[in-house]
Amino acid sequence: MNDREKGNGQVIGRYGVVAVVAAFLLLLPWLPKVGPYFLHVCILILTYIIATSSLRTIYVSGQASVGHAAFMGIGAYTSAILSMRLGWSPWLTILIGAAGTTIVATLSGYLFSRLRAIYFSMVTLFFGVAVEALMRSWVSLTGGRSGLVGFPGIGVLSVPGIGEINFAASKTPYYYLMLLLTFFTLLVLYRIERSRTGMNWMAIAQSPLVASSIGISETKFRMLAFGVGCFFAGLAGACYGHYSGVLSSSSFSLMPSIYLVIYMLLGGMSHFAGPVIGVVVLVAIPEIFRSLKEYAPFVFGVIMLLVIFLMPQGLAGLMQSGKVWYEKTFRRGAL
Amino acid sequence: MEVLTQTIVNGIVLASIYILVALGFALIFSVMQVLNFAHGAIYMAGAYVCYFWGTTFGLPPWAAIVMSAVVLAVFGMLLERFCFRILEKDFNRTLMFALALIVMLQTAADVTVGAYVKRVPSVLPGLIRIGGSITMSKERIIACVIAVFLLLAVTLLIKKTLLGRQMRGVAQDRDAASLHGINVHRIAGIAFGLSAGLAAVAGGLMGSIISLNTYMGDAMLVKAITLVIIAGMGSLGGLLVSGLIVGFIDAVLPIFIGGAGSEVVAFACAIVILLIRPSGLFGQET
Repeated sequence: MNDREKGNGQVIGRYGVVAVVAAFLLLLPWLPKVGPYFLHVCILILTYIIATSSLRTIYVSGQASVGHAAFMGIGAYTSAILSMRLGWSPWLTILIGAAGTTIVATLSGYLFSRLRAIYFSMVTLFFGVAVEALMRSWVSLTGGRSGLVGFPGIGVLSVPGIGEINFAASKTPYYYLMLLLTFFTLLVLYRIERSRTGMNWMAIAQSPLVASSIGISETKFRMLAFGVGCFFAGLAGACYGHYSGVLSSSSFSLMPSIYLVIYMLLGGMSHFAGPVIGVVVLVAIPEIFRSLKEYAPFVFGVIMLLVIFLMPQGLAGLMQSGKVWYEKTFRRGAL
Repeated sequence: MEVLTQTIVNGIVLASIYILVALGFALIFSVMQVLNFAHGAIYMAGAYVCYFWGTTFGLPPWAAIVMSAVVLAVFGMLLERFCFRILEKDFNRTLMFALALIVMLQTAADVTVGAYVKRVPSVLPGLIRIGGSITMSKERIIACVIAVFLLLAVTLLIKKTLLGRQMRGVAQDRDAASLHGINVHRIAGIAFGLSAGLAAVAGGLMGSIISLNTYMGDAMLVKAITLVIIAGMGSLGGLLVSGLIVGFIDAVLPIFIGGAGSEVVAFACAIVILLIRPSGLFGQET
């Protein structure tokens, strides 16, 4: 059913929801009771949305990567070190960081493309752990175990017509920056996935043999998916690095990579919105229960168990079956 | 000479404990086709349960290790019966459940014992003198002896007994095994219990050599996966070789290039081996 066949009410309703969500996100920093900590959590959520959505792009092509956080780390460290050592503007180094991540990812994606299924997962796992160990051992460049500090933040940006935006003064500019990047990321990833390239990825994921028999180059498209996914991971990592001002190798080790996989699977891998929902639910709800202190991760675990046993399609699947239930109960005629 | 001997013994000790953990991981994978990412967390839980038995209940260390193996084996069987069996044939949900288990077990350890540095009481304290000038702590020797003994026992179990043959049958072809009257679920339960028990023993032994922390499972999980991948899925004999390789890399390299540097080398080696021989050193080509 396309928009033309629907009643005007439904179309208006859909755009209304989008408008309300957009307005809420845009006005968020100005709402009452929204403090710096709340904004910090929002920035964290946006970073993870970029990382998890880009991870899903890699999974769509049938490559179950378990080392995605390492690529965030490559972007973050590249950008931070360039801006610190060479004094370049963070705006430039963030792009260089993302580009560098893409190059590393494409090369390693080429090497790894001969491995399939769990062997691919394992090689990305080793790659992630090795990169993290490299960050820890190369003390002169990365600061080693104690972490990298002292690289510049984004600083002051002067936009003609608006005036100067001081990124150091508050978290609000960073929030808008991440919001813009998240929107950009989701748009690009969605367009690619719905294009011919995305179809080729899905074909390769279903059966590499059949896909290559109809002329889809498995190596080429898997490299492409890995490169595109890791570009956005590097972007998210680089931006987050300049936002937080401290980089520690432990935030890019195995467990962060696994958490990205958890967010994605829990949100529902078969839906584009899955990673977004997964990140929002799994980051926001434990934050609500922060007063439980060391018991707080239990909340995280319980949500996971609930989703695993009650919602086989993930949280996004719940949304869809809820929609079906709503249509069945209230709009019998419409179906 | 002294350093050399100690390094060799350390390598063997590390290798034997790595192999114990990896054996359980490989067993679950071949019998149930489940990548049990929670295996490292079970190993960590084994060490903590052992610490509990040893300090709170005052059991002698050897009994603490046995009891922690029993507790974790029962826990593993329950997990298989009530969780993994329900999620059977759904790879994503099984994986997710294993990850949820990591979160739960780590939090439980944090809450009960706390993140402070703890140490499992040693089975056999004191030093031993080998050939004049070389001294070794007895607990390392005893850890190695127990691990090797268990490895032999499990290998015999898998190769010689009826139960072992049933396990190998299920690993080869689940449906065919089921058609021949093997209770596949029972075998899976036993395999899970055995694997969790082995991990618990490894945790108890390692806990007396190094100190405990809640994240010790992560590193060990990566080690176990490395061993299994290098050896090739489904090759038990290969685990011995890959275990010795990784154990010696971990014992020797830190002397020359530091701990983190040796990890880089070890994982780079693992990547190269995987790229050259995708099914591992001893795995069958599929």
